[in-house]
Amino acid sequence: MADKDLNEGLRDLESGPRTSETAGEGPRGEAADAASHPTVAAMRAKFGDAVRHHTVVAGDEHVVYIAPERVRDILGWLKDDPAQDYAFLMDVTAVDYGGGRPLEVVYQMWSLTHKRQLRLKATLPLSALEIDSAVPLYNSANWLEREVYDLFGIRFRGHPDLRRIMMPENYAEGHPLRKDFPLRGRFSRAEQTRRAMEMELEDYYIPTELATAGMRATGEHASADAAGPSTPGGMRRPNDPDNWALGTEGGAEGGASSPEGVE
Amino acid sequence: MGLSGRELPTLPAGGGHASFFTTRLDALINWSRLNSLWPMPFGTACCAIEMMAAAASKYDTARFGMERQAFSPRQADVLICAGRVPYKMAPVLRRIWDQMPQPKWCVSMGACASSGGVFDVYSMVQGIDTIIPVDVYVPGCPPRPEGLIYGLLMIQEKIRGESITRADFHRAEDPARTGRPNLSPEVIEEVTVPFGNSTRQNRVSGMVPSHALLRPRDRKP
Repeated sequence: MADKDLNEGLRDLESGPRTSETAGEGPRGEAADAASHPTVAAMRAKFGDAVRHHTVVAGDEHVVYIAPERVRDILGWLKDDPAQDYAFLMDVTAVDYGGGRPLEVVYQMWSLTHKRQLRLKATLPLSALEIDSAVPLYNSANWLEREVYDLFGIRFRGHPDLRRIMMPENYAEGHPLRKDFPLRGRFSRAEQTRRAMEMELEDYYIPTELATAGMRATGEHASADAAGPSTPGGMRRPNDPDNWALGTEGGAEGGASSPEGVE
Repeated sequence: MGLSGRELPTLPAGGGHASFFTTRLDALINWSRLNSLWPMPFGTACCAIEMMAAAASKYDTARFGMERQAFSPRQADVLICAGRVPYKMAPVLRRIWDQMPQPKWCVSMGACASSGGVFDVYSMVQGIDTIIPVDVYVPGCPPRPEGLIYGLLMIQEKIRGESITRADFHRAEDPARTGRPNLSPEVIEEVTVPFGNSTRQNRVSGMVPSHALLRPRDRKP
C-alpha cells in the first residue's frame, strides 16, 4: 500500500476526535440519598449549593460533584472536621470525556479513623481550566497535581512548583491525555526525535538540583536556547498558559512538521 | 580496544589484500573478540526479564563468553536494548552508546525496541535505529531467551566475517555524530509511518542474511 493512501486512511487517527455540537455536560448518575453517607449529609448541611450532585457508583462508591471554586474549603473541612477526618488524599486525577464536555478533577479521599471513603469531582469547562491547589492541605497532592497539569493542562492555583512531571520539560505539543490530542502527537516523528535528542540537563533537573550539583545556572542557558533558529515557534518552555485550546485545527495537520500550527 | 577514530592504523579503503598473514590475523582477532563480548544491558521493560533469564544459569550467556554483564558502558562491547524506549529516554540511550568504546555492536531486543511495537503513540521512539545504529534485531514480544541468544550468536557470526583489510574493521564512528539521531529526518519520516519500521529495517541496518540457507556456517542448535 502506498504511504499516501495509508496516511489518508489514518487522518482521523492523527487529528483526534472532533468537538461535537451536541455534547452533554454536567454530572452524571442518579441522585443518591444523602443520608446513605454521613459525610455527604453533613456536607450538604454545611456547604449547601456548593454540593451539586451526589451519586453512588459500583455499589458503594459515593461520588460528590462540588463547585470548583469551593474545593479548598470543602477539602479543608473534610480534613480538619473531627467528625470527618479524611486525613488521606489517595489520588488526584482528571477525566476527559471528549466532545467538548468539561473536564472533571477527581479527588479520592480516605478517612483512616472512620474507615470511609469519598470521591469528590469538580467539573471545569474547557475555557477555564483552573482550580485551587490542594497542596496547602495535603502534601500528597503535589506530584499528583503536577501529573494532572502535565497530561490534562489543568492549572492549580497556589501550587508551589507547577511543572511537567512525566513529559520532558521541552515538550511543546500540549497535554497528551486530552481527548483532542492526536494519538501520535502533533509534531512529525523526525521533529519529535530532534527535540528529544536536544534535551538538556535543564529538561531533567530543576534549577536547585543543578545548583546543588554545582552545574551551571539555568537562566541564561534556557533563554539562549529559546532564541535558537531551529526551535519551532521559538517555544522552548511550554509551561506558559495553554497554547492548545480545544479545536486548534492547525496544529494537527496529519502529524507533519508545521511550525505555523504551533502557536 | 578503546581506539578513537583518528589514530586507527587502517589499511586504505579497498586497497587491502587478504594474504595468509592477514587472514590468520583476522581469525585470531575475530576469535578473541567474538568469544569475549561483554553485554551492556539496557533493559526498560518486560524484555529485560527475558534478558535476565538469558543471562541466568539455565540459559547462561556466559557459555558464549558473555561472562560479565558490563553495567558500565565504558567496559561493554554489545548494547542490548531490551524494551520500549520513550523519547525522554532517547538521549540517554544515545549517550550510553556514545560512551561505549569501539568496536561495539548493538542488539535491539523485542518488537518495541525494534519498531515501537504496539506503542505507535506520541511518547515512543519508533525503533531505536532512529537513535543508534543496530546490528541485530530480535523479534518477539518478548523474545524467549533462546531468541536473544540466537541474536547474540548472529553478532558473533558478524564478527567472524570481519577483516582488518576492510576500512570498517574498527567500526569507528564519526565523533561529530555524537549525541545526534542515527538517521536523517527524511529517513525517520519514512520508517516511522504506521508499520513502517517493522517492514523497512533492511534499508536501515544494511542487509544481514538471516535465512538458514544463506547462513551455512551457523551453529546448529
